[in-house]
Amino acid sequence: MPSPLDKLLENPRVWRGSRQAQRKAGLATGYSELDRHLPGGGWPTGALTEILTEKYGIGELRLLMPALARLSAEDAQPDHGEPRWIAWVAPPFQPYAPALQQFGLDLSRMLIVRPKEAGEVLWSAEQALSSGTCAAVLFWPEMLDGQASRRLQLAAEKGHSWAIAFRPMIARRQPSAAALRLELHPEGTWHPEGTWHPEGTSYSSGQGTRVHILKSRGGRPTVLNILL
Amino acid sequence: MSRACKSPVAARDAAPTPLAVQQVLPFAEAIPFAKPLSLSPTPVRRLWFCVWLPHLPLEAGRSSDDATAIVEEQQGVHRVLLADAQARAAGVMAGQSANAALALLPTLQLQERSLLREQQALETLAAWLERFSSFVCIADRDVLLLEIAGSLRLFQGLRALRESISKGLRQHGFDASLAIAPTPLGATWLARAGRRACIREPQNLKGALRSLPLAGLHWPEGLGASLTGMGITTVGDCLRLPREGFVRRFGAEYMLELDRALGHLPDPRNSWRAPERFCADHEMTQEQSDRELLLNICRELLFSHERFLLARQLGTQRLCFSFFHLKGSATELRLGCARAERSAERWLELLRIRFDQLVLPESVIAVRLRSGMTQALQAESASLSFYGTADGQPRSYSIAQLAERLMARIGDQAVHSMMMVAEHRPQYAWRAQSLLSDWASSTFAEVRRHLRRPLWMLPEPAVLPADSNFRLLDGPERLETGWWDEDGISRDYYTAVNPAGMRLWVFRNRNRSSPWYLHGYFG
Repeated sequence: MPSPLDKLLENPRVWRGSRQAQRKAGLATGYSELDRHLPGGGWPTGALTEILTEKYGIGELRLLMPALARLSAEDAQPDHGEPRWIAWVAPPFQPYAPALQQFGLDLSRMLIVRPKEAGEVLWSAEQALSSGTCAAVLFWPEMLDGQASRRLQLAAEKGHSWAIAFRPMIARRQPSAAALRLELHPEGTWHPEGTWHPEGTSYSSGQGTRVHILKSRGGRPTVLNILL
Repeated sequence: MSRACKSPVAARDAAPTPLAVQQVLPFAEAIPFAKPLSLSPTPVRRLWFCVWLPHLPLEAGRSSDDATAIVEEQQGVHRVLLADAQARAAGVMAGQSANAALALLPTLQLQERSLLREQQALETLAAWLERFSSFVCIADRDVLLLEIAGSLRLFQGLRALRESISKGLRQHGFDASLAIAPTPLGATWLARAGRRACIREPQNLKGALRSLPLAGLHWPEGLGASLTGMGITTVGDCLRLPREGFVRRFGAEYMLELDRALGHLPDPRNSWRAPERFCADHEMTQEQSDRELLLNICRELLFSHERFLLARQLGTQRLCFSFFHLKGSATELRLGCARAERSAERWLELLRIRFDQLVLPESVIAVRLRSGMTQALQAESASLSFYGTADGQPRSYSIAQLAERLMARIGDQAVHSMMMVAEHRPQYAWRAQSLLSDWASSTFAEVRRHLRRPLWMLPEPAVLPADSNFRLLDGPERLETGWWDEDGISRDYYTAVNPAGMRLWVFRNRNRSSPWYLHGYFG
């Protein structure tokens, strides 16, 4: 006679952490603190990652650069077949080639796609993901509902591609099929009393970025500070 | 397997497009045989028919029935190159400036000379002339040559052939000067001199060429002037000169040209072939609006297109579907591909994407498929299966196919790659690269590591309001000059941070009163 608990556990709608499929090794982020908190020790490739930010220019791209540089270099190996590309779909500004090169990205394998209509952003991203020719697809959708995120998640799995969606902060309330959702906040408030101090200032003047892991498949939500 | 079909092309006889299939005929009669064991008593005899189009710029460029003159820029001044009969009657002459011509005839239509249109007109004529001979050759900008020795019997003799060609040319609206001679150069010279010559026997050629003035030979002006200065004005005068002295004074090439014209030397020519295109219709017994059915018809057409190209080892980059309606004009759907392609499956994939968006105003009665310019197919090599792909997952398609799909739906301009440019001005340090052109782009330009460059760049620098709040972190980096293209800059760039925590790349022009500009974000 099975116990009521066993019966309940047989219900397919009950999800159990132990049944989590064997963890796939992630793609190292280049930030050891972040790696420790991500299941698989890095970015989940072959899945959808969502990054929520209020503003641009707070390190949302710098967070990805070490991993993208690795993808850009890794695939040049001969037995991987054709080297894979990195696609940018509907970026809000122009990705600036010299900076990308400084971070070690191979410019000859960047695909910039600028659809004119909102619906075409998701279509283009899905095409790029499922084609299997892009190692990573970064996209900036206006809208991404649960169904669309599920589609993109499947496309990323099919094409073994890493999908990264950049979304505004209000999207945190919407359900999403993403394997990983991060929220970025600039850390350290700054008092506008000083104007310009030529000495004693440095590029990363103690400013970090707070990374809030909202959802992580197979991991735990957490908040950490990263110096970007 | 790729097919090379290029043959050495003399610069002067350069074929109009490298796509045209070329063949070279040997010039048999000039090769001295030491009494060969030939079955035919006479060697193969060739006869060249030359069509010279002296008014081609006018005929190709004409757009109305009014008095027209073609102008060309010579040393900064637009001068009349050719005028039609109406304009000539009013006193417009070649060499006049455009203003003078307009003063003489205010209603005169002035047309800029278009070499492209002339070339197209010439190719249209060459394609038409292919019905008279298997060997048509575009010998110069305004000269067509046909080898007609093999066509004489079919067209019932030289006179009838000549009649039908000149009648056809008149119908096409071209005024041509025709000549027939056993050598291509001889025929050209005779036509250019305006002689309605018809020389069949090689031994008569010398006599006919002798009286030609040297002006029609298109020799350099300096050479013509010095020959005239010596009292030599005709081809015959040249031939009377001692060969060695002529070569020493004027160079061997002109003596060789004379030899070729007289048939002493072979003069092989390149044959021109009209590029092959596919065009097929599918007509239906009644009007249809079922889109699935129409797509199936397109599929059938694409497969016969593939068979056509396969047999010729060709591919094409453009296709055009026309959907005909009983009333109104046809709806057209054009498809493009990054590389020459023939596979029906690939085309069908692109067609499906576009067909969903196609609006058919009415039901369709017929479908036509036309291919664009065909070209020799660059076949790609598939990798051997034991290499496999990462994770054992077959790659479904290549980046070229992905780019084509994206371009088919959202437009050619919206998809690009990028490359570095060796340039210090930030806005010129990179450029978008089309994926349709050369794929392998190598970037030699490199930006130095220690320079701060933002990951986001604004399309244009934006003026920051005077009261905007930010703190400078790093700088200045002075970037200056660009006088060579009149877009010089003189800016001091800084890294800055604003209260919202955004990293900015700002600059100020060197004069201190300049406002701050935002040029990028350190994303």
